[in-house]
Amino acid sequence: MPNLQDIKRRIRSVKNTQQITKAMKLVAASKLRKAQEAISNQRPYALKMIEVINHLAARCNQDLHPLLDNRHEQRVIMVVISSDKGLCGGFNASILKSTIQVIEKYEGKELEFIAVGKKGRDFLSNRNKKILKEYVNWTKDFNFQDAAEIGKFLSEAYESNATDKVYVIYNEFKSVIQQKVTVEQVLPIVPEVLDLKENEFAVDYIYEPDEETILDDLLKRYMNVNIYRACLESIASEHGARMTAMDNATRNAKEMISDLTLFYNRTRQAHITKELIEVVNGSEALKG
Amino acid sequence: MADLLQLSIVTPERQIVADEVEQVNVPGIEGDLGVLYDHAPILTLLRAGTLSYEKNSGEEVVELVVSGGYFEVTSNRVIVLAETAEFLDEIDHQRAEEAKAKAEKMLGQSDLDDDAFEKAQKKLFRALARLETVQQQKK
Repeated sequence: MPNLQDIKRRIRSVKNTQQITKAMKLVAASKLRKAQEAISNQRPYALKMIEVINHLAARCNQDLHPLLDNRHEQRVIMVVISSDKGLCGGFNASILKSTIQVIEKYEGKELEFIAVGKKGRDFLSNRNKKILKEYVNWTKDFNFQDAAEIGKFLSEAYESNATDKVYVIYNEFKSVIQQKVTVEQVLPIVPEVLDLKENEFAVDYIYEPDEETILDDLLKRYMNVNIYRACLESIASEHGARMTAMDNATRNAKEMISDLTLFYNRTRQAHITKELIEVVNGSEALKG
Repeated sequence: MADLLQLSIVTPERQIVADEVEQVNVPGIEGDLGVLYDHAPILTLLRAGTLSYEKNSGEEVVELVVSGGYFEVTSNRVIVLAETAEFLDEIDHQRAEEAKAKAEKMLGQSDLDDDAFEKAQKKLFRALARLETVQQQKK
């Protein structure tokens, strides 16, 4: 027969775990709200920027710009955005799964990585992949400057012909319970996404300093905005995934506690019954 | 007052201003400019400095410190895509002083490469723009 004390101890430990998962869920929920806010806050900037680029692109020769130059894909940089911490369900697993797919797809080509997030970094370095840059503990106080730093590195690599294509792999935030792994091309910049129309009625602008300088600056910043957005989406997804995972864990713990409590009570009753039988038997024996 | 400019100031982190104003003064890279109603379309880069706009027949003047970005005017819509933008009361005077001192120290080093030099210079301009605006306000 199981020891009552042991069952009690187990119940207590599951209760503790439940408290932790519950707290983590609440923390994730509040962080998620902040992350969602950050996403919607950057939207006006991105939209306005696309507007400006479109106005400008109609006016100048876009083919000349190095960041729009589409080269044969031989050397590829992948920016893998993962989280620093675990306990967030399938969040990192799905990112790493599609990273493996990408690795298989580019077999024989030169593939380099930028690891954003500890989980992705560990995964890549375990596999002896070439990591150009790594950013760990990045989600706290993440801001536009951090994204711009990655962007600067990438555009320099692209302009100096060190790479032919740059992709970002990240979890797109669909809803709290749904995240979608997205592989997005950031360089060369895809003109279709920007909807660069040549025939759009061209406004005659006054430019200071000149069109090319501004376009160059704008395109680079556009790419930074893209990376920034991908990172924000990833942060929101992480919190969403963690919230769901912790909610499940809390529910499982609750179930486990009720099962264990039932078991505990039954066992206690069985103990008493057994003792009673012993007492009765004993007295019967004495009578005999 | 029918002739108003639609002004929106946004940074990557948030939308700062969305308003109807009479005049906008910005620090362009090749000199300050003031924009009134019916201004010709213009697109320019910004440098670090003070941006101001006027509302209600010039009664209300709002000043912000911006550092870098773009400024576009098309058919009376004014878009400012700033790298950072702060209202006066958001400026941390002490931090700006510290940043200035730090940037000056960095610029004083002789073994600076181009990249670091540019960075330090930008930092200095940013700090100076902040301090200048705050000091003007005090007068």
